Amino acid sequence: MKCFHCGEQLEEGGICANCGADVQLYKKIIFASNAYYNEGLKKAEVRDLSGAIDSLKTSLRFYKMNTDARNLLGLVYFEMGEVVAALTEWVISKNYQPRENRASAYLEEIQNNPGRLESINQTIKKYNQALLYCRQNSRDLAIIQLKKVLSLNSKLVAGHQLLALLYIQENKFDLAKKTLRNAAKIDANNTVTLRYMREVNHALREQNPGKKQKNDELVSYQSGNETIIQPKYLKDNSAIITIVNMVIGIAIGAAAAAFLLLPGMRSTIRQEARAEVIEANNTITSKNQMISELEDQVEALTDEVAAAKADGETAANQLSTYNQLLLAYGFYTQEDIEAAGNALANVNEEYLSEDAKTIYDTINAQVNEKYLESLYEEGYSAYNSRNYVDAIENLQKVADIDETYEDGYAIYYLAHAYRINEDMEHAKIYYQRFVDLYPQTDRAATARTYLTQE
Amino acid sequence: MINFEEELKNFKPSLEVEEAEQAIYDHQHVDMTDVMQEMLRELKQEA
Repeated sequence: MKCFHCGEQLEEGGICANCGADVQLYKKIIFASNAYYNEGLKKAEVRDLSGAIDSLKTSLRFYKMNTDARNLLGLVYFEMGEVVAALTEWVISKNYQPRENRASAYLEEIQNNPGRLESINQTIKKYNQALLYCRQNSRDLAIIQLKKVLSLNSKLVAGHQLLALLYIQENKFDLAKKTLRNAAKIDANNTVTLRYMREVNHALREQNPGKKQKNDELVSYQSGNETIIQPKYLKDNSAIITIVNMVIGIAIGAAAAAFLLLPGMRSTIRQEARAEVIEANNTITSKNQMISELEDQVEALTDEVAAAKADGETAANQLSTYNQLLLAYGFYTQEDIEAAGNALANVNEEYLSEDAKTIYDTINAQVNEKYLESLYEEGYSAYNSRNYVDAIENLQKVADIDETYEDGYAIYYLAHAYRINEDMEHAKIYYQRFVDLYPQTDRAATARTYLTQE
Repeated sequence: MINFEEELKNFKPSLEVEEAEQAIYDHQHVDMTDVMQEMLRELKQEA
């Protein structure tokens, strides 16, 4: 604090140490100015801008060189949309205190943005024009103009209040309430705003008696061109709501997938499966055909093998037959009739050619004759010697070749040999054969006798 | 009840940029300290 008389720094006490001036009252004035400044600052902090203006003006009436109070007053004017009033205060502040003054920075910021200042100036002109319309009773034009102004300079409290007044006059109390809320957001305890708001609420209650007035439980604000109205005490459950929304979204997505996508997918899968089945069937069919063809081939080859085997067997048999025939001829030339006969017994006439058969027949006839003669003599001799086993052997060979040899005596003596050897079964066979061949002979009667025996 | 005309009288035109200079010149520059100094001067003169 400096002395008002000499400008020197004052110390404690009511007298200036430099010039001796009575500064007691002066100090009280300064203290009062500061007190009102503090009051204005507190009001500004709680957005009571109208109250802050009154306190700051009072502070400046006490002491016009209270730089802090004047700068703050300028800020309050600026916040209420009264830009030129703010500029005025800052210029005056800078004039009183050229150095170390915050007002210099405020002025510099505005001067560095001339476009913005021009824009604000235009909104102020429009507001003044709207006010003129109101006085000329052109309320519609005034409303249009004010809406334009407030869209460009939403902080102009006087503009909100004037627009609210027009809406009240037009009985548009809802709109009036909305614009008054905007004004209250800027300047909370403005008496004009509060008075208009009370009037609007009263009018709305009369219009909607059953409806509860929520008063200031709702908060509205501008978001671009939209007005957002929400409860004042809105709980911010955005995190929970986000999670719930995500769960709902996932459920909807799953349902959409189930009803829209799954049938299509199933159809596609079925079609693919069907195609694969068809392909598999085709493969099986072709394989079956191949198998059938191979089986036919196997059968054919088997037949060929069998035929080849048969041919081989036939060839072998032919070879064997011719070998036996040669052996028989060899034995015949050596007059070994029995060996020749044995060899001829192994010859199969089917495998012989015509010439070979002629040879076979010739040899066979001669061998047989001598063979039979030999066999019969041996067999008869063995029978007479009571050697019935040898007798059966030789006489059986004779019977196999020729049953009528020696007028049937071969089979006659064979039957006796079987009988005496206690083989009645074979004996009866040859007794019956003899009876069939020589029925009128004495020997047949004898044979009949033995046939009746057990 | 709000009287539109009466309320309208309370609304004053806002200062435009062109009017800023005049507003500064018209600004009241007398405060309590000036009044106090004037009073002290008069007292001295009477004395």
